[in-house]
Amino acid sequence: MPGDPLLHLLGEELYYSVPDLVEELKAKYGLNKPLYEQYLIYLVNLLHFNWGCSFHYMQPVFDIIVLRLKWTLFLLVPSVLLGSAIGMFLGLIARWKSGSKLDIESALTLLFVYSMPHYWLAMLSLLIFAFHLKLFPLGGVYHSGLEGFSKLADILWHMCLPLAVLSFFNTSYKYLIVRNSVIHVLEEEFILTAMAKGLDDQTILFKHVLRIASLPLLTIVTLDFGFMVSGTLLVEVVFSWPGMGALIYDAITAKDYPVLQGCFLLVTLCVLVANFLADICYTILDPRVRME
Amino acid sequence: MNTGILSILGVLRRNRMAMAGSTILMFFVFIAVSAPFIAPYDPWKQDKPFLSPSIKHPLSTNDIGQDILSELIYGARVSLFIDLFAAAVSTIVGTLIGSVAGYFRGKLDEILMGITDVFLLIPRLPLMIILAAYLGPSVWNIVFVIGVLWWSSTARVVRSRVLQVRETGFVEACKALGASDTYILFRHVIPHSSHVIFAKFILNTARAMLAEAGLSFLGLGDPVQKSWGTMLHYAFSRDGFINNMWWYLPPGICIALSVLGFAPIGYGMERKVAMLRSY
Repeated sequence: MPGDPLLHLLGEELYYSVPDLVEELKAKYGLNKPLYEQYLIYLVNLLHFNWGCSFHYMQPVFDIIVLRLKWTLFLLVPSVLLGSAIGMFLGLIARWKSGSKLDIESALTLLFVYSMPHYWLAMLSLLIFAFHLKLFPLGGVYHSGLEGFSKLADILWHMCLPLAVLSFFNTSYKYLIVRNSVIHVLEEEFILTAMAKGLDDQTILFKHVLRIASLPLLTIVTLDFGFMVSGTLLVEVVFSWPGMGALIYDAITAKDYPVLQGCFLLVTLCVLVANFLADICYTILDPRVRME
Repeated sequence: MNTGILSILGVLRRNRMAMAGSTILMFFVFIAVSAPFIAPYDPWKQDKPFLSPSIKHPLSTNDIGQDILSELIYGARVSLFIDLFAAAVSTIVGTLIGSVAGYFRGKLDEILMGITDVFLLIPRLPLMIILAAYLGPSVWNIVFVIGVLWWSSTARVVRSRVLQVRETGFVEACKALGASDTYILFRHVIPHSSHVIFAKFILNTARAMLAEAGLSFLGLGDPVQKSWGTMLHYAFSRDGFINNMWWYLPPGICIALSVLGFAPIGYGMERKVAMLRSY
């Protein structure tokens, strides 16, 4: 990774044979100024939404990131929502019938899924469904030359496999969390009260248990959006999905520092915002933490 | 030390899942230790490429004709080695930070826990990739990268345990006898938190396994050491993944199984710790 981006830009031959050109480029990118000055320029530029220019793509970093972020969110939002919903539902039902066949089997299967490297699961699904069965494309987002509705359909078709892998993985993770928190909720006395009142299982489960058990889940779902890059990075690489993860990976191989800096800034902002949102949602769902 | 080992044994006796997990792990450790004796070939020796599975090569050969079964067996060594060392580093860092913060309290506690919170929230995978790319490919660098980025939850858990231990009578008695803080910390407080630390260590190994496999999968692993993640990397990047399913199916299963082996022991121990606490 350490290395001169100019070397990457010019190629070794030019870099070593024409020192004037190197100096000229250094002046152009402001690399001949002292470090603190470069940093100050960077900070001032940030405030003007000028996140620098990529050495590799020759485009403003901000534009590249926005474009890639769109694709990541397109994959991430449905997978998190779908995974959380299925995981929560399964976790609730399984724990309610604790010790039943459903409980044990779903716990073992989903624990195994959770232990798998999910890019490996992605490779497997790619091989089976895309290569052998030819049901889905091998990678990318859409075929060129399509417009309007058929383009959208093509994108959705390309999205199926990565979405399925991510949702499956998400389900296993959320399931394990919900299952764990339901254990504690079921021991609470208000559940006993609800049973003594003669409420049926469904009401207890979905009205009383769910509300408390979903609290830790909520934090994790909001954090998922903060950690989106880590969540989808390896799967994006496998499916050559042009999202943030693939962008970071390419930026590292191309020594594209401005893009990396930009990505990190964005990811950090996302984590902070997600944390803040989690806190707000908490006060809405759990009156006990509401501030006076 | 002893309480840690005893609590592992106690968990294993009572918990069938943990028992199954440790059996899997023993199996992998056995394979890793006896690799030179049970591997049919040197994993670097080349035969014909892309041979289909046969008695000579039970899991076929890869693109440059290396025996995949032998690669897998030697890969257990590299993977488990990186895994255990990385988990040890992260557990030691986490324990030191957590116990110092919990024992001394005050400003120091606030500063250390502030740093821990930052590390808890950092998106680890991108940072790990950048660090690994920056430091260059080597086994020790991967150990270092995983170790310094995954200690935060250990620090939190150890701190909350140390907060309990420091209020006990014998710590007060030690202070009254004039024992120094370092002596109390290392001789009494940390040993009394050892079951928490051991549980965290085991969970850290499960995580380190996945982290190492992910880094190696991206091609950031040590090119002269073959781990399971490295095998997946080559299988994916050289399209073996379409030519030869025996190339990438076994390493993935091995990674999943060993993570599955560590997790129930760790969770079993954590549950036991939680039970002890409620008394």
